[in-house]
Amino acid sequence: MARERTQLFRDVIDGNIPKRVPVCVSFSIEFAIQYAGKNLAEAQWDTGQLEEIFDQICRDFYSDLLPVNAFRFPSFYKLLGARNFVMSSNGFLQHPEVEGLLQEEYDDFIASPYNCIIEKILPRLYTELDTDAATRALALAKAFKAFHDEMGNAVMIYGRLNQKYGYADINLFAGFTEAPFDFVADQLRGFKGISTDIRRVPDKVEAAVDAATPLMIKAGLQPFASKYNATFIPLHMAPFMRTKDFERFYWPSFKKLVDALAEAGHPSYLFVEHDWMRYLDHLYELPAGTIMRFEYGDPKLVKEKLGDKHIISGFYPVALLKTGTRQQCIDKAKEIIDILAPGGRYIFDFDKVPITLDSLNVENARAVLDYVAANAGY
Amino acid sequence: MKDWGEKEKELIKYVEQLDEENVLKLADELLNAGMDPLYLLDLVNEGMNRVGKLYESKDYYIADLIMAGLIFKQVLGLDKMIAQFQVGQINKIGKVLLGTVKGDIHDIGKDIFRGMLEANGFDVMDLGVDVPKEMFLKKYEEYAPHILGLSGVLTTTVDTMKEVVDAFVQAGVRDKVRIIAGGNHLTAEACRYIGADGFASDASVGVKICKEWMSCAGGQGAIHHG
Repeated sequence: MARERTQLFRDVIDGNIPKRVPVCVSFSIEFAIQYAGKNLAEAQWDTGQLEEIFDQICRDFYSDLLPVNAFRFPSFYKLLGARNFVMSSNGFLQHPEVEGLLQEEYDDFIASPYNCIIEKILPRLYTELDTDAATRALALAKAFKAFHDEMGNAVMIYGRLNQKYGYADINLFAGFTEAPFDFVADQLRGFKGISTDIRRVPDKVEAAVDAATPLMIKAGLQPFASKYNATFIPLHMAPFMRTKDFERFYWPSFKKLVDALAEAGHPSYLFVEHDWMRYLDHLYELPAGTIMRFEYGDPKLVKEKLGDKHIISGFYPVALLKTGTRQQCIDKAKEIIDILAPGGRYIFDFDKVPITLDSLNVENARAVLDYVAANAGY
Repeated sequence: MKDWGEKEKELIKYVEQLDEENVLKLADELLNAGMDPLYLLDLVNEGMNRVGKLYESKDYYIADLIMAGLIFKQVLGLDKMIAQFQVGQINKIGKVLLGTVKGDIHDIGKDIFRGMLEANGFDVMDLGVDVPKEMFLKKYEEYAPHILGLSGVLTTTVDTMKEVVDAFVQAGVRDKVRIIAGGNHLTAEACRYIGADGFASDASVGVKICKEWMSCAGGQGAIHHG
């Protein structure tokens, strides 16, 4: 089974028409914990329960790729005193608006981004690193120990689940990085900060984004090149900017990043958040075979403009799984597949990861996934 | 009244173009030359309306609205404006109690909405993020707002918003306040499920709804049917 499923994805990536549309959905760790009836905060801390929790998702929801993937655990964020990833009162880990770099510090970052990150930004984002050298070293060591323990545990679980359920042997999360502008926005200046900076200090923003680009390329490189292992890049700010600003501040460095990864043999797997219909001509320019998971927009237009060159995914509205009837949900899947599947280069996925159990009606989700698995043959 | 002529148009234009430096310079100049702060506020509001139109026509995006909010705040922070505000309370058109519901710590949408409400003459009490329903109720009793604004980004907040509305029903005050839900994920169906009186996935639409409510019912929910 694993071999057959792997072939589905390989065909899509190679530009051949697969036997069937591959299904690649994933559920958040929060969804999985709630589905298993466990306490959200506890189970993220006590990751010994994780295998049993993830197993229930694999057992009950059809996917050709492992449908769970968690990489942010509260332990190491808490040990660092993180301000950029914080748990809310109900145990939901989120990214609040943070300012890791002050506006007057742009020049420091531009002159030496790496030093600036180490000396100024990390201590500001992680309160436990804002101490004397010895305490800071210890805090960092503890956090890294926790990080490696958690990730080691998670990766072992993924391996066992892959075997048990016979999932495809390709990896869309083999690397992880951010578009340089998104990095500057999300971690350094905040959504509000960057929005004002592009008007107040546009040249500095441009220079900072350029300075961040080599770091983002480095972060996205994987140890080995394989066209079946992608680097994941979740995109963020572009739809919230004017096209003019996008073209100046966002696009050039982002294109450079994806090009550099492609040159090194790593395809990019983009989460095209929100609505990018204004930017389809830009997206077309990315290296052939870039995998793009769309949230909103017009699937027809995307297929028409990008379908011959790139691999399209997403668009299936999770919101409908909550409010629609079973039949409506299945009809929607059929509608989207009819648009996107012809000619291959399509992977079925939801428009976004269901983040909590109440984001959808479980029966609807199952019905849709089973429908696609049984009916989306070529 | 003194005729300010071209300067008025210029100020409106600078606001429309989100030209922070020139807005502040000219506003300061006009105030120092004796312009009534309330009149200046009208001009700035006119510029802000144009910003809103540019947003609707997709010439401006959220990043631009954030800049607009910041400019507005700074105009209000000019010495002569502060003095005016301290002396005579400007007639507010309504009171809004606002917060991001429990479980969600996002504040950008809420802050944009707040800025636009204030720019449109509302008095806003902002409870921040991750606000439990008990806090909404408690502050409702203290502040007696005309409108309750529930904000959220996470899709799960549909249920949380419903819990807040239910808490207001149980406390017997649901009919005394209009409730608007705000968030990109909201739909008419979700709004009905929540039991809110209106919803907006866009701050400017939300402000329009609030203004309509205030103008047609004195804000007291006279035509409320939730």
